[in-house]
Amino acid sequence: MYDSLGAQPGLPRPPPNPQPNPFGNAFVGAGSGLIRGGLGAYGEKILGSSSEYVQSNISRYFSDPQYYFQVNDHYVRNKLKVVLFPFLHRGHWSRITEPVGGRLSYKPPIYDINAPDLYIPLMAFGTYVVLAGISLGLHGKFSPEALNWLFFKGLVGWFLQVSLLKMTLFSLGSGEAPLLDIVAYAGYTFTGMCIAVLGKITWNYSYYFLMPWTCLCMGVFLVKTMKRVLFVEVRSYDSSRHHYLLLFIALAQFPLFLWLCNITVNWLF
Amino acid sequence: MTCYFYLRQNKLKSLHALLNYLQPWRRNSTSRRWYSPPAETPASEPEPRTSAASPRRRSRRSASPTLASPSCRSTSGSAAASTSFSAPQFAGNTIGIGSSFEDEPPLLEELGINTRQIWSKTVSIINPFRVNPDLHEDADLSGPFLFLLSFGLFQLLAGKLHFGIILGWVTMAALFLYVVFNMLAGRNGNLDLYRCVSLIGYCMLPMVILSAIALFLPQGGVGILVIAGVFVIWSTRVCTRLLVELASCGDEHRGLIAYACFLIYTLFSLLVIF
Repeated sequence: MYDSLGAQPGLPRPPPNPQPNPFGNAFVGAGSGLIRGGLGAYGEKILGSSSEYVQSNISRYFSDPQYYFQVNDHYVRNKLKVVLFPFLHRGHWSRITEPVGGRLSYKPPIYDINAPDLYIPLMAFGTYVVLAGISLGLHGKFSPEALNWLFFKGLVGWFLQVSLLKMTLFSLGSGEAPLLDIVAYAGYTFTGMCIAVLGKITWNYSYYFLMPWTCLCMGVFLVKTMKRVLFVEVRSYDSSRHHYLLLFIALAQFPLFLWLCNITVNWLF
Repeated sequence: MTCYFYLRQNKLKSLHALLNYLQPWRRNSTSRRWYSPPAETPASEPEPRTSAASPRRRSRRSASPTLASPSCRSTSGSAAASTSFSAPQFAGNTIGIGSSFEDEPPLLEELGINTRQIWSKTVSIINPFRVNPDLHEDADLSGPFLFLLSFGLFQLLAGKLHFGIILGWVTMAALFLYVVFNMLAGRNGNLDLYRCVSLIGYCMLPMVILSAIALFLPQGGVGILVIAGVFVIWSTRVCTRLLVELASCGDEHRGLIAYACFLIYTLFSLLVIF
């Protein structure tokens, strides 16, 4: 079943039993073709150019989100272990490539523990929002509007992390890594944040230990990932600059964690 | 005026007629006929106007104007009831618009609200251990609408005005589950957004019960937390089983889907607890 998944990505498939409902026509074609087809249609309306041009551009930037959801239980458990305790990972950190149709492409996450996925970041983000809500409630400051603000604050934090990684790549002269890869790597930090917030809920003092610990683990994970996987694509090799940038990535996790793990109602701190 | 007189005199029969009109499954062939006023009508006044009244009456019936007081309409040729009913004249409207009034489908059927199906779906959710997915084959939004409305009402009884929040959160949760489910299922995913909202709405029933129970328990106590935990797990279990059995997803993603549903229902339970 998984072999056929990589064959023809992006073809929308109509559902076998179309239901007579008002929303049925708009949401036909679930699966990997959804985003590409939808964006292609809207892009044609907005830009007014031909559909193939817009679709090729979108596929260049968005790189088939279906790939990032080919996960199973076993992968999720092991990936969480790698993300939360990166120094225990004995194997290598590079992704496994396979030749597909004459080009080298990476294996999907089921077969490769080092491949990024989007399921864990999405779930970790959701868990972070829910745990933040519980934390607010236990301090008596819960209101649904506060939770909405926390949701947007988390999104901004995710965006900041993505831009940090993207800027690092740009400063090395290559921005060729697919955007969803970087979004996935940035989203892994929410798992550490969930652990820190959970510690804060259960016992207040454990937060002062768990927060720097998870921060450090996340920094190590990002450094190892960026070093092995993303910097492979960089053309020029400048050792000291690489190392300074990696150190900068690891150090920049601290303010991000401090900002996001401090669950309060107002925006800044 | 005569209409009102008939209504006051025959309240039960008119109520029966109204109920027949609204709920199609109560009807049988004998009760389909509208109630016709009794024979002791004061037939003195409309006699000179019968000839002018009949084309008007015929066009009025075929044009099917307002729905008020159906017991005043009669298929029998009594002119008293229809001419005393001061409906606007449809001058020049000799061709009937659409079908006649009696041939119209009942209101709830036209709206697509099948109360019997809603009730059977609700009863099937109450048992968390045996889920019957055949009932949920055709999705509808009226049951979820009722549940969300009652959830909002119970929250209102607790002093929290959460109607808009519930609407927004259900929309976001449905979008989230729709994206996650279809992406996980790959090319076989055929969950559409309508069915997703319908399933999330129906599995909101334990949350509604939780919000009703939470009115009687002290806020912030251990009891409400334990009960909320149990009800969230109930909701998650039912929702996951319905999703996996209705939309053709792989059974191997059951735990992953369950966690997504768990997050959604924990979020709604936070509204109740805090």
